[in-house]
Amino acid sequence: MGVDGISSGTVDIAISGLRAQRLRMDVIANNIANVHTRQTDGGKPYRRRGVVLGARGTDEILGGVQILRIAEDIASPFKKVRDPGDPSADKDGFVLMSNVELPREMIELVTASRAYQANAAVLKRHQDSINTTLELLR
Amino acid sequence: MAGIQPTSGIPARVPPVTGSVAGPQDKSAGKAGFADLLRNYVDKVDQDQRASAFAIQDLVSGKTDDVLPVVQAVAKADLSFKLLIGVRNKVIEAYKQTMNMQV
Repeated sequence: MGVDGISSGTVDIAISGLRAQRLRMDVIANNIANVHTRQTDGGKPYRRRGVVLGARGTDEILGGVQILRIAEDIASPFKKVRDPGDPSADKDGFVLMSNVELPREMIELVTASRAYQANAAVLKRHQDSINTTLELLR
Repeated sequence: MAGIQPTSGIPARVPPVTGSVAGPQDKSAGKAGFADLLRNYVDKVDQDQRASAFAIQDLVSGKTDDVLPVVQAVAKADLSFKLLIGVRNKVIEAYKQTMNMQV
């Protein structure tokens, strides 16, 4: 462990959590920004995305969290809205909308920012406890 | 409660002293070992300090806009430096006490 023991470990784990939650917030921001996107490069409306997180390390080694990938939400369908005046409407006047739902994204945003705060609190507490330990040297 | 070991079951960290007191060759080896230990430690702290300085430089110069590596490097450098200061104070205190010893 040596000197590394005091400075790595919890710091790295907390930072990995901060990074993961920040990416979640990025993805949520992207979802919200594209709530009305009806056309992407593929011609289809925007599909909401989510972050797939995985644990890093083994049974004995704690490695924090890692970002596996950003995945599209293919489970929830596009919303079909009748809007004959829209240029992208089909012959029956229906328009496909992205499957982003704002209430859900707002909930995700709250949980992501709370989890971010929690990781920051872990980092701060770790620093505090190291400082407490070093007080004992005096 | 099978998992909890009795107090006497905890293995001693310090190996028991056996045989005679260490000879002079052991003493010199111990001295070099401590110097190396200290040097390695200071090098490690210096590495952390440099890493944090580089991280800050990268952020300020616009090489990266990610603030988390800076937080990580600065937190590590701060903690290891604080430990170094603590050890240094303790060593100097020990030196002073030794020098003030009435002979």
